Amino acid sequence: MSGGYNEIHPEPTTFWSTYIISFDHKVIAKQFLWYGIFFLGLGGIMALLIRWTLAYPGVPVPVLGSLLFSDSGGVVPPDTYSMLFTMHGTIMIFYAITPILIGAFGNYCIPLQIGARDMAFPMLNMLSFWFAFLSGLVLIISLCLPLGAAAGGWTSYPTLSTLIGSPGAGQTLWCVAIFLFGVSSTMGAVNYVTTVITLRAPGMGYFDMPLTIWGLWLTAILNAIFVPVLGAGVLLLILDRVMGTTFFLAGASATSGSGDPVLFQHVFWIFGHPEVYILILPAWGIVSDLLSFFSRKPAFGAKATALAMTSVSILSTLVYGHHMFTTQMSPLLTQSFMTLTMTISIPSAIFFANWLGTIWKGSIRFDSPMLFSLGVVFVFGLGGLTGLHLGTVTTDLYLHDTYFVVGHFHYTMAASVLLGGFAGIYFWFPKMFGKMMNETMAKIHFWGTMIPLNGIFFGMLMVGYGGMHRRIYNPFVYESLQRLIPINSMITTSAILMGAFQIVFVINFLWSLKNGAKAVSNPWNVGTLEWTIPSPPVHHNYDEIPVVKCGPHELGNPNLKNGRDFQYQTEELVEA
Amino acid sequence: MGFLNLNASVSWWDLAKPPLDISTNGHLIDGLWNYTTMLCIFYFILVCIGLFGFAFFYSQKRNKTPYYTYGNKKKHLLVTAVIGAAVFLSIDLNIARIANNDLLNQFWKWPDPKTEKVLRVEVMAQQWLWSFRYAGPDDQFGTADDVVTNNDLRVPTGTKILFHLTSKDVIHSFFVPNVRLKVDTIPGRITRVWWEVTTPGVYDIACAEMCGTHHYLMKAKLTVYSEEDFKRWVATSEKIALNTNDPSDANLAWGWKWEK
Repeated sequence: MSGGYNEIHPEPTTFWSTYIISFDHKVIAKQFLWYGIFFLGLGGIMALLIRWTLAYPGVPVPVLGSLLFSDSGGVVPPDTYSMLFTMHGTIMIFYAITPILIGAFGNYCIPLQIGARDMAFPMLNMLSFWFAFLSGLVLIISLCLPLGAAAGGWTSYPTLSTLIGSPGAGQTLWCVAIFLFGVSSTMGAVNYVTTVITLRAPGMGYFDMPLTIWGLWLTAILNAIFVPVLGAGVLLLILDRVMGTTFFLAGASATSGSGDPVLFQHVFWIFGHPEVYILILPAWGIVSDLLSFFSRKPAFGAKATALAMTSVSILSTLVYGHHMFTTQMSPLLTQSFMTLTMTISIPSAIFFANWLGTIWKGSIRFDSPMLFSLGVVFVFGLGGLTGLHLGTVTTDLYLHDTYFVVGHFHYTMAASVLLGGFAGIYFWFPKMFGKMMNETMAKIHFWGTMIPLNGIFFGMLMVGYGGMHRRIYNPFVYESLQRLIPINSMITTSAILMGAFQIVFVINFLWSLKNGAKAVSNPWNVGTLEWTIPSPPVHHNYDEIPVVKCGPHELGNPNLKNGRDFQYQTEELVEA
Repeated sequence: MGFLNLNASVSWWDLAKPPLDISTNGHLIDGLWNYTTMLCIFYFILVCIGLFGFAFFYSQKRNKTPYYTYGNKKKHLLVTAVIGAAVFLSIDLNIARIANNDLLNQFWKWPDPKTEKVLRVEVMAQQWLWSFRYAGPDDQFGTADDVVTNNDLRVPTGTKILFHLTSKDVIHSFFVPNVRLKVDTIPGRITRVWWEVTTPGVYDIACAEMCGTHHYLMKAKLTVYSEEDFKRWVATSEKIALNTNDPSDANLAWGWKWEK
């Protein structure tokens, strides 16, 4: 615990070393935040183009259409449509959610909440951001190529993603970008794991860490183990594309020896299933903490929540085969993966019990971070439960690759993570920038996100059950799907609405940066370590390394005599 | 945008119902879907009661003093454990058991052409075309009398139909929404699926796996005939095939020897 490498680094003096090549975890966190918000906007615009095409096929896109697709009279052409959904998935997962939830919150919260002066490896941290930057740059360059960007779906299954299906350099650059992203993520992950293990303040046991740190720590462990697997997979794919190897080639085109395209799916999902937990674990942690903070009572069963997160992380490595039921694995594998998938319900049910237990008999403040956290409980309920239909083999044989899947994973990975991310931004913004965000705009943003969001993703579940499959440019070439046009229009209208309400967030964010009320050191009245120091913290965070004497959720203790309803983690626990 | 004149009498719930089930086994999947959904709705209502109920009754306004507890008392742990166990036992084990029984008793019970009447069809997918091959009078695949159709699958009612599928170029997925089943077609290997249909008519076959720019156009027609009509169609097609199949046509030369 104590005794780690925790010295005060000299403060940077030039603009360059303060804001660009920064070794300070707080600056790197903000770099990741801006980076993530930029890509979130880009991925969001792509989503709107996709939605427009699905609801109004053949109708020119308003405003953007004449700028981007002048050759086709403003209509999204079919090959561009494939690029759009490929890039939308890639950008949202790797370039929006990962940098915001893991890059920004991980970097910001880990040292501050465990009472450290910086990450264990500041240089690695800096490199992690700049590798991510390079990776994003490569991805954006790939959008400008003559044959366009990658268009084989974010899963990039061979043989479609080999030269047989994607002759353009876009797919190769996609692989390079993902590989660079993997390097960045792995460096970040190794750093997070080490920091949490070695730099916790004296007195802070693992169960004294906020659940946010538990989430980020488990995410980092999964990242360190499984992102390199993806790296290996795309490296082999690059070899297939550039060097003429045949790891994933088969069929008529595999003239110089045959590999196996399904091998890539195994490699991809060994990474890919933990990846969905990599994305959701930080949000789970944040929500578990915030529900307690804003209910003014300790997190219900905090230890059980931490252990449930741990068991989900372990189980997530054992269930990936449920993405591949339609490839006809051996019956034994199919049955095993179905059964293992089902066991994830147990820790998930424990989360819900504990989340609801936390707000039970609380004294709930509905500040914006709390609203977003309650929103996560709602949407993750829907997302988690619809996973049951897909983990069951027979129903999956109908639902696989339909919009039901799209609705399900957007509820879990997009809706829950996005709402959890917003909760975190509204909660830590005062600490990060020393300013308060505007609460009225935040509440408008919440309802303007929450209501259309359910219109979008519940609509997706409906059209999916109706038989509409994924990744089709114009679903209505199938006469049997034409009855779903009204629901698709509703989804698109909801998406445009939700997109419009994000402008409120951007305005609030930028306006508050400049004009927000000055934040006190502890605006939310909670006791975790980051709130014991000024907002924003000084360069080295803590003048003296704090000594931790109680848990992170000491709120509502009736015996407190200090005029507060909470205790700082640095205070001796008052017995109830 | 003529599609905006909606028929107000049809609700969205009815629109979102899956297409007509024309198979002998589709009801198993529909049944399990309904069962899972019922249980999900039940548990989601519980979550909502907790979420909205607690948010209402325990707001700062209505409850000034929070209940100071870590939730680690015996009865708290018991409630949590009971919830976890209830979810697992009532949903997960149940649906996994039902799915497993359906797989073992129906979907994985491969019909044996030696002992029962089975129509065998070879399917080859390519960008962006479905090709179907019937064995023809000699009952052998890959011979000159095979009946080969493109984007046009015709099958009889009352007979189990066993498909062996592969792909020439990229991965596709053979999806018949009215039968509720899909299976990937993968270059370099043969996958299989069987079903039996009950209702004559014309239906859609779709490619469900992203397979390139024109993925959305990769659709085929499924015609279900009564047994007599199918016999008549096969007889005619076999005659035409014998007369017109050109052995030097490379596009016809894709059949393979049927293996179990």
